[in-house]
Amino acid sequence: MAPEPGQLSSLSNPLATVDQLSTSSSQLDGVPADLESSLRFAGAQLTQAAGILLRLPQEIIAQAIVIFQRFYIGSEGGSFRINALKDVSAASLYMTAKISFLPQSTRSILNVYAYLLSPTSPLRQSPEGSTGKERPDAESYYLSEGSYHSARATLLQTESILLRSISFITQVILPHHIALTYLQTLGVLPPSPTAESSALATRTLAHLNTALFSPQLLYLTHQPPALAVSAIYLAAREIGVKLPSTEWWEVFDVDRETLGFLVVGLGSCGGWIQSERENWSATTCPLTLDELEREIKRRVVENG
Amino acid sequence: MASQGKSRWADDEEDAALEAQRKREKELKKKAKAEKQQRKLEEEGNLRRQKAGNANEDAAHDHDAINGDSERPSKRRKLSIDRDTYSKELPPAKLLRFPAPEWGPCRHVDNFEKLNHIEEGSYGWVSRAKETATGEIVALKKLKMDNANDGFPVTGLREIQTLMTSRHTNIVALREVVMGDKLDDVFLVMDFLEHDLKTLQEDMLDFFSPSEIKTLLLQISSAVDYLHSNWILHRDLKTSNLLMNNRGQIKVADFGMARYYGDPPPKLTQLVVTLWYRAPELLLGAEKYGAEIDLWSVGCIFGELLTKSPLLQGKNEVDQLSKIFELCGIPTEATWPGFKRLPNARSLRLPNTSQTTGNVLRAKFPLLTTAGTALLTSLLNLNPAQRPTASEVLTHPYFREDPRPKSTEMFPTFPSKAGQEKRRRLASPSAPKRGDAPRIAGEAADFSGIFANRDAEEIGGGFALKLI
Ligand SMILES: Nc1ncnc2c1ncn2[C@@H]1O[C@H](COP(=O)(O)OP(=O)(O)OP(=O)(O)O)[C@@H](O)[C@H]1O
Ligand SMILES: [Mg+2]
Repeated sequence: MAPEPGQLSSLSNPLATVDQLSTSSSQLDGVPADLESSLRFAGAQLTQAAGILLRLPQEIIAQAIVIFQRFYIGSEGGSFRINALKDVSAASLYMTAKISFLPQSTRSILNVYAYLLSPTSPLRQSPEGSTGKERPDAESYYLSEGSYHSARATLLQTESILLRSISFITQVILPHHIALTYLQTLGVLPPSPTAESSALATRTLAHLNTALFSPQLLYLTHQPPALAVSAIYLAAREIGVKLPSTEWWEVFDVDRETLGFLVVGLGSCGGWIQSERENWSATTCPLTLDELEREIKRRVVENG
Repeated sequence: MASQGKSRWADDEEDAALEAQRKREKELKKKAKAEKQQRKLEEEGNLRRQKAGNANEDAAHDHDAINGDSERPSKRRKLSIDRDTYSKELPPAKLLRFPAPEWGPCRHVDNFEKLNHIEEGSYGWVSRAKETATGEIVALKKLKMDNANDGFPVTGLREIQTLMTSRHTNIVALREVVMGDKLDDVFLVMDFLEHDLKTLQEDMLDFFSPSEIKTLLLQISSAVDYLHSNWILHRDLKTSNLLMNNRGQIKVADFGMARYYGDPPPKLTQLVVTLWYRAPELLLGAEKYGAEIDLWSVGCIFGELLTKSPLLQGKNEVDQLSKIFELCGIPTEATWPGFKRLPNARSLRLPNTSQTTGNVLRAKFPLLTTAGTALLTSLLNLNPAQRPTASEVLTHPYFREDPRPKSTEMFPTFPSKAGQEKRRRLASPSAPKRGDAPRIAGEAADFSGIFANRDAEEIGGGFALKLI
């Protein structure tokens, strides 16, 4: 018997509602919208960096980033002023790894976050400011027994808060595999790859990874097949690979309008990331509650 | 955690003003939230009532004998789209199509009124409850929070995740997850079903008829097929985890052991599946196993439906193996290549006489047809590779021969224990728990230790299990 249609299953994720996209708990708490976007970006970047240090596959990292984004959305969601982004990032990664095939201990998660938040962290160095002399040393990020225990309590409590806020919907279907399948279906990914076909696949996946940082929260607003189709479209155009001249995306149930929107969204991601990096080159984007309060205060003073 | 950054930075007048402003906004926000929740509740009520109406209609139109897909996937919780609050940055067309469910903070368990305990197992807790706003009857299951050290238990996360992503006529519907006052009070809200097959069979005077058994087995296999094609292993199939409503519909429940698996299979714990339903490869300590273990359990359930009593009631792991070999024959290199290399098989010396399975099984089920015996024998094949897949079961000739599967609507109605009172249960083993692990997880030496005091059970099957 066929499975029932419309299920939350192999191709679909829960999506943010209009309400959730129009107001957020953080904004209601007085976080300016542009700062909120920066914080979301910083959270994704922090999660990505931690995942890489933990040698987790991109699949788990990407899922954790999406979970992180689900938390801070809507008026009933989490607020950056209440739940520090560093804690929510750590809890997202910890929880996502836990249900995967590569669970991580609280100890290794917390050590990595301690390092990434320390002054020697690569995330704390502005590109110009880094002298390259300060090499991260184990001492600076190894947690003492006491700080480990309190950090662990925070991690586990944040995990519960996170789960409660996303109503335990931990499933995140990623578009990556779907994109590769579509490339095969389109006949542009032959069994023995050519230079062009590998470039196309690489570029497609790169767009999908970049989209995780999108200020438009594309992973919360669009289903994986739509993201996959758009990344393929954009990558093929950039590399100059010819795709069928028909409206091939309709085969994958994506309409022209959605495709157009997403291609623009994906295309602008790189530029946005660049400008974020530049904006925060002098200072660093606030990662803790204290840093966030200082930043909000600074803005208040500045705007007088 | 809840440090709101309250007055930490309110150190001058301006800040104080801002802080006050922020407080006002928070108040407004809270009010808006409350109103919204109220609205949402009302909407949900309407939707549920509407849905219930549809379901009745569907049932009336449904003459499909078995598994008539009389249920629709549950609708999104909220359908209202407020165009005014619509954000400018994103074009509308994208936002008006939401095929999937939404997320938002869990509701409180207070929205439900507890009616009666259904089951108070070794450490489970399930009760029948009524949703106050809608009057709908549901089942509430409290999640076990056993390993607080690693945070939210991974088993609970998997139970929710696998159940939430499984939408199938023969799998119990998880409506939502709600919370109690404490962060670790978590409840699954499920559709309520009148019976589970274990309790029902204990109370039934008659046996299920052959045509009823076919209908039950088809529904179970259909659910298992769905799970396996979505890469989910159930790992605890047994009659107490198979729910049935008064229309003869089966719903597989209890995903407490379920998890995603891969191909090739990853290393997984062998400490799964309640003893009586546990496949021989698990008992022999296989670290890599797959969907076949669920089909073994289906075989055990098939046998149990025929005789109204569990097929293989071992007293412990070794006794379970003895009972299995007694019924299904002794494995040989020919019938199960490589089984000798399984961790617990090394210390096992088996008699040379190989038993012929069919005869024993046939003797035990004299009324079963040839096709039926063939299906049961294949499900209970010691060699996992020889067992049919769930989709192969569905097309087995047994279901096409007379008597044909009975339409679910023709099923008799039984009095529901779950609906009335707390129930008593005959003693039977429960699903393995974490703490049990060391008992069989060890090397061959440990296994022989288990054998050591098992003399009594070793006699009696026309063969004996011996240790080196
Ligand atoms: N949705 C439901 N409707 C009616 N009864 C239910 C429902 N879910 C569970 N039950 C009853 O509660 C019992 C226990 O439920 P379940 O198996 O999910 O919990 P458990 O704690 O894992 O139990 P156990 O440890 O005994 O296997 C079931 O055997 C069944 O009798
Ligand atoms: Mg159970």
